[in-house]
Amino acid sequence: MTVTTFKLNLGPQHPSTHGVLRLILELEGEKILSCEPDVGYLHRGMEKMAEKMTCVQYLPTVDRIDYLAGFFYSELFIRNIEKGLHIEHSKKTKAIKVLLLELNRIASHLLWIGAFLMDLGATSPFFYAFREREMILRYFEKLTGQRMMYNYFTFGGVRRDIDYLEDVEDIIKILPSKLKDYERIITKNPIFISRTQGKGILDIKTAKNYAITGVNLRASGVNYDLRSFDELYRDIEFNPVIRNEGDSLSRYLARVEEISESIKIISQLLDYLKKAEPLKQNLINPLTMRLPEGEYYSEIEAPRGLASCYIKSTGDEKLYRLKWRTGSYYSVNLLRKLLVGNYLNDAIAIAGSLDIILPEVDK
Amino acid sequence: MNYNDFKTYFADAEVTEDKVIIKDRLHDTIEFLATKMPFDMLKEITAVDSGNGETEIIYHMYSDDGNEDLFVSTTVREEAETITDIFKSAIADENEIYDLFGVKFNGNENLKRIYMPEDWEGFPLRKDYVETDERLAWNNDSHNV
Amino acid sequence: MNWLYYWYIEFLSKYNIPQIVGDITFYVIPFCIIVAVLLIVVLILVLVERKLLGFFTQRKGPNRVGWWGLLQTLADAIKLLTKENITPKKADRFLFNLAPYLTFIPVVLALGIIPYCSEFTFVNTSTNAILYIILAAFPVLSIFLAGWASNNKYSLLGGMRNIAQVLSYELPISFVLLSIVVLASSMNLTGITLAQSTLLGGFGWFCIPCALGFVIMFICILAELNRCPFDLPEAESELICGYNTEYSGMRFAVFYLSEYSMLFANAIFLSILFLGGYLSPFGKYLSTYFLGDTVVGNILLYFEQVFWLFFKSGIIIFVIMWIRATFPRIAPYDLLKFSWKFLLPLSIINLFGIVIFKYIMGGAI
Repeated sequence: MTVTTFKLNLGPQHPSTHGVLRLILELEGEKILSCEPDVGYLHRGMEKMAEKMTCVQYLPTVDRIDYLAGFFYSELFIRNIEKGLHIEHSKKTKAIKVLLLELNRIASHLLWIGAFLMDLGATSPFFYAFREREMILRYFEKLTGQRMMYNYFTFGGVRRDIDYLEDVEDIIKILPSKLKDYERIITKNPIFISRTQGKGILDIKTAKNYAITGVNLRASGVNYDLRSFDELYRDIEFNPVIRNEGDSLSRYLARVEEISESIKIISQLLDYLKKAEPLKQNLINPLTMRLPEGEYYSEIEAPRGLASCYIKSTGDEKLYRLKWRTGSYYSVNLLRKLLVGNYLNDAIAIAGSLDIILPEVDK
Repeated sequence: MNYNDFKTYFADAEVTEDKVIIKDRLHDTIEFLATKMPFDMLKEITAVDSGNGETEIIYHMYSDDGNEDLFVSTTVREEAETITDIFKSAIADENEIYDLFGVKFNGNENLKRIYMPEDWEGFPLRKDYVETDERLAWNNDSHNV
Repeated sequence: MNWLYYWYIEFLSKYNIPQIVGDITFYVIPFCIIVAVLLIVVLILVLVERKLLGFFTQRKGPNRVGWWGLLQTLADAIKLLTKENITPKKADRFLFNLAPYLTFIPVVLALGIIPYCSEFTFVNTSTNAILYIILAAFPVLSIFLAGWASNNKYSLLGGMRNIAQVLSYELPISFVLLSIVVLASSMNLTGITLAQSTLLGGFGWFCIPCALGFVIMFICILAELNRCPFDLPEAESELICGYNTEYSGMRFAVFYLSEYSMLFANAIFLSILFLGGYLSPFGKYLSTYFLGDTVVGNILLYFEQVFWLFFKSGIIIFVIMWIRATFPRIAPYDLLKFSWKFLLPLSIINLFGIVIFKYIMGGAI
């Protein structure tokens, strides 16, 4: 008997590659022998643009690196610039930033839950997750005027004072009961368990070797949450979510737990923000702003892993070099190893569980 | 972190607070840091074009034992040693640097143009890069009719 | 059906056409009726499914074309019929074009042998039930044909999955059917229906002594219909659209049509085997109860029987759609394991149990 293998081109137009990821799979029947990811279909030259624009021109484009977590990248960029300008924030500015970042994290994780279940073939949770995400996006729209590309943070603070806090109150009041619903329809579903438990196991060593960060790393048992070391989160109590199994199920559960953790953070901030005095911040005039010569490096815990920004400046109004590090790029690289030996349907579920988003990969 | 051992092995390396600048023996340095010292994660590789045909490559290593970051910087022209046998994450980074800076990593067989089209000439993030490709003509001011 | 047959023969003899021609051509009439009714049923089913899925996921579903979106599926059907039929360049043209129609024919045949009411079975053979099982498994051939002829790897994988799936789920179905045959002492679907006819009404149906078999059969029918959670051959997130990835326009519409017709046929089959077919759940037909033995009562009786059959299969279809909104897709190897390691032994146990039950009860049922 001869065993024939064949190549399958998964993507770039495929319902479950979450955008334009292309995986060249070598299959034997439905078993995957090798996987070669091909990216770049969404490349916008984010790094080249930074060299051609001034910082203030570049600021709105930063949100577009990850359209599901725009606040994170603009905060990262601003933080890195502010590092060179030595700007201190008031307590209220910090609180506003953390509140919005965590809301954004919840929105991003919710969308992932829907998309992941869609990969597994369950359609309803997608709509449920979107329903909850919609509340958060409505709030963002009210506050910033935009649903996804906010451009709300600016050098030295935020564009306007926070408002409509009663909406946030509603959100964190409703969300926990919805999470219980998810548990009933998803987590206790035997088919869901059989599709995810023990599938795509990522051990600590591999995870570190492939530079996997964020929830995926924590689901493999490494306690590395950048929020623990972050200046913004200094006064906030929260527990990083750690799970030890490292399979798809643990990545799912870690994200769900992270949502409830974010709700806790938000509720801590709400009480303070409601009583806080009007916003005081020292905004910089972006037109005369010059970043002093030197190298700057900042990191942030984005929903899809560690995001970092490296800037080299020569004191000019344009940056000499800017480099983004995004979590998804390394998750895509991990697929080379993680998918091998699995069946096609599991491969989809495993790739989905890593939470890959393509604009982040292609930059 | 204690760098004494490191200094004895690599005498010509310049060690500052969080940055190590090395001239050669890149692969050995990274291997030493990864195996003999607890830097078991390579967060990213950054390349910066120095403008005179040289490219500075910064390896950002991390140890979650003590939450310590370390930048290893080296300067190369055209070619560099690959470290994909130590860190698999470097496959992605080296590919990106090859695509955008044109630095070839000897020993890495996976190098290909990932972001740019395969027939693209030049490496866009180099300082001497000139946009000559007609596919970008719409981008020029003279083209705005 | 006899009256229709005699009427047709008489009609032909008026024009001096020999009876043998009438015998052969007679079956065209009922199948024309089936296809016409089927089209309407499928249009309704598609709409109901979309409305139900909308309801389950807190959406409105189609509500623009016609009142309550009633004309939506009609508009979709017209759209599909007017679209271009694309045949891939390297596809096997003949088989590619043949496959959709090969799926549809067995469904129509299967619907022809079903007793809709006590006097309305188009083709009534003594082993209807076995014939139905054969016809219901037939589309797997054309689905594989479609997958193979498309010359598309996704289609091929879909076709292969479908064969593995149907082969392993046919066996439990046959064993459960055997237990029903033992209970009813008949292989005829009308006979099976009448065997459930007691004064107890709903309590005399076979879903009570053969409850285990009912559950097994229900699961197997989900698998045979490629319905969620067993929708592997057309798993959207894995195989794009499975075996009908390359189909468009009219041919896709035929696939769609036969899929929903099969759903309808299997729901009817299930309600005949376990839910008493056209029997009333109250033990007595409402029309005879209220109107007595009058002419109107006797005519309404047939409508009532059809209503009960459709009502029961409607409930089954509703549950199938409900499951679709709830469950994720099962993995192919889990699916095969589930059938061979769990359902098949269970269905054999069920058969033995039923045989013993029948032996103890003797002639009581």
